[in-house]
Amino acid sequence: MNLKPNLRVEIAGIKMKNPVMTASGTFGSGLEYSNFIDLSKLGAIVTKGVTLKKQTGNPGPRVYETPCGMLNSIGLQNKGVKNFIAEDLEFLKKFNVPVIVNVAGNTIEEYVAVVEQLSEKDVVKGIELNVSCPNVKSGGLSFGLNVKSAIKLTSAVRKTTKLPLIVKLSPNVGNIDEIAKGVEDAGADAVSLINTILGMAIDPQSFKPQLANIVGGLSGPAIKPVAVGMVWKISKAINIPIIGMGGIMNCYDALEFFLAGAKAVAVGTANFIDPEATIKLIEELEEFLTIKDISDISDIVGQVKV
Amino acid sequence: MAHVKAKILNKEQVAPSIFKLSLLCPEIASSAIPGQFVHVECGKGKSFILRRPFSVYRQASKETFEILFQVVGKGTESLAEAEVNSYLDIIGPLGNGFKLSNNCKKVLLVSGGIGIAPLTFLAEKLYSTEIIFDMLIGFANYKKVIDFSLQEKIADRIHYSTDDGSLGLKGTTVELLLDYLKQSKKPDTIFACGPEPMLKQVALIAKQNKVPCFISLEERMACGIGACLSCVCNTINGYKRVCADGPVFDASEIIWD
Repeated sequence: MNLKPNLRVEIAGIKMKNPVMTASGTFGSGLEYSNFIDLSKLGAIVTKGVTLKKQTGNPGPRVYETPCGMLNSIGLQNKGVKNFIAEDLEFLKKFNVPVIVNVAGNTIEEYVAVVEQLSEKDVVKGIELNVSCPNVKSGGLSFGLNVKSAIKLTSAVRKTTKLPLIVKLSPNVGNIDEIAKGVEDAGADAVSLINTILGMAIDPQSFKPQLANIVGGLSGPAIKPVAVGMVWKISKAINIPIIGMGGIMNCYDALEFFLAGAKAVAVGTANFIDPEATIKLIEELEEFLTIKDISDISDIVGQVKV
Repeated sequence: MAHVKAKILNKEQVAPSIFKLSLLCPEIASSAIPGQFVHVECGKGKSFILRRPFSVYRQASKETFEILFQVVGKGTESLAEAEVNSYLDIIGPLGNGFKLSNNCKKVLLVSGGIGIAPLTFLAEKLYSTEIIFDMLIGFANYKKVIDFSLQEKIADRIHYSTDDGSLGLKGTTVELLLDYLKQSKKPDTIFACGPEPMLKQVALIAKQNKVPCFISLEERMACGIGACLSCVCNTINGYKRVCADGPVFDASEIIWD
């Protein structure tokens, strides 16, 4: 007789009902998706990147579809941390779901100021440091491209908060394993990977780039093999948990990430295609484990046979 | 708004590269208002992944609605190949539609190309009111012109333009509008939908003539529900989301490039 498999996981001290999270920037603060799904069923909600001051973002067009993926150059448009606390966190309080806030900034001081304000709020269960947004320098990319600066930022934020600290790494580097190890040593509790991959598309009729920002971040199924590869590589380099993301559309995609070494997964672009993608994924995972007679999702983490 | 599977009841090619789909979907048909749109999955299992937005063209009954679309790329190509009696994955109705103020006595609907879609829905709603309305319809050429007998039946007057003069005035919708304003009584509101360069000109002409003007914008979209912030347009109040704050905007609010 098959018992219901255990989907509960704990990432960096954050207790989650299941290992399915939302990827920052693809879910707003959940408001729009609450028309379609019960947010309380999610493992965790990772909110869109928030900065100290309001940011207007990049001009349009901001999105372009590519084979099995999409390029975006939103540019971290957000209303600033004060409004985020007053509006988005107020909304999220109503749901029984851990809230992890993605934080971006221009300087270490800005990151610290945002994290300080968020740390006072009970509803916030974790911080995800955005050091990898490819669309704006203020997405912290300058911190995420270099081991030393990633360590410096992580250490500064570590001193600021007791909240679990996740660092979202950029795939647009040659030494992601060194950066991962660096932030682990600097006090990160987990890493999430990968952020979008820098890309470009050009209109052959007009000779102009398809995005007003010229370049943007590629996401969706097109980047999944890159993401799975990076999760596998980094899982051998560090001891803190990995949250895997990049093109997860269904249970089989997610399973690749678990097998490669991710302890949880985040759904991004799939939300745009199916607003119920996260809930369907949770159900599919439970069904898969039941059929396979696997009692705990954690039992398959890192179990790829190489 | 609903996320549903809608059955394709009928598919009709109404002009070269222009198709009309009739969809069985009570959830959307019963609640949509003119100017709202639906977000349609066009390529399940294919190499393109994002949904495509389409204005509601007609509310055929409480259970069925229609969309009118032009094949412009892989997504619409795939949609044109969809079979009758198959199901489409749809989210809708989405966005904010056209609003009629109490002052509206005589309005003008200005459409360019496939921009006719949301304005036909509006026209059908206006038909049951006291409001007088004229329609200006511009298309590239006669071959691209769909059968406008429906619109001709309900609108008080219709004027056409084609780029090559094969139907109506030879010229653009903008020239048609200028011609109309010279010859007819000024409308108290203009509602417009069409390509951006046309809308920009219509907005300018409306401003010069001191006529309130509301336009339906189109922009590349990802989620369609206001979360991803992809489909923004620049306004005097900062970037606004075409999907959730629009697609219908007061033209005086838009900052054109």
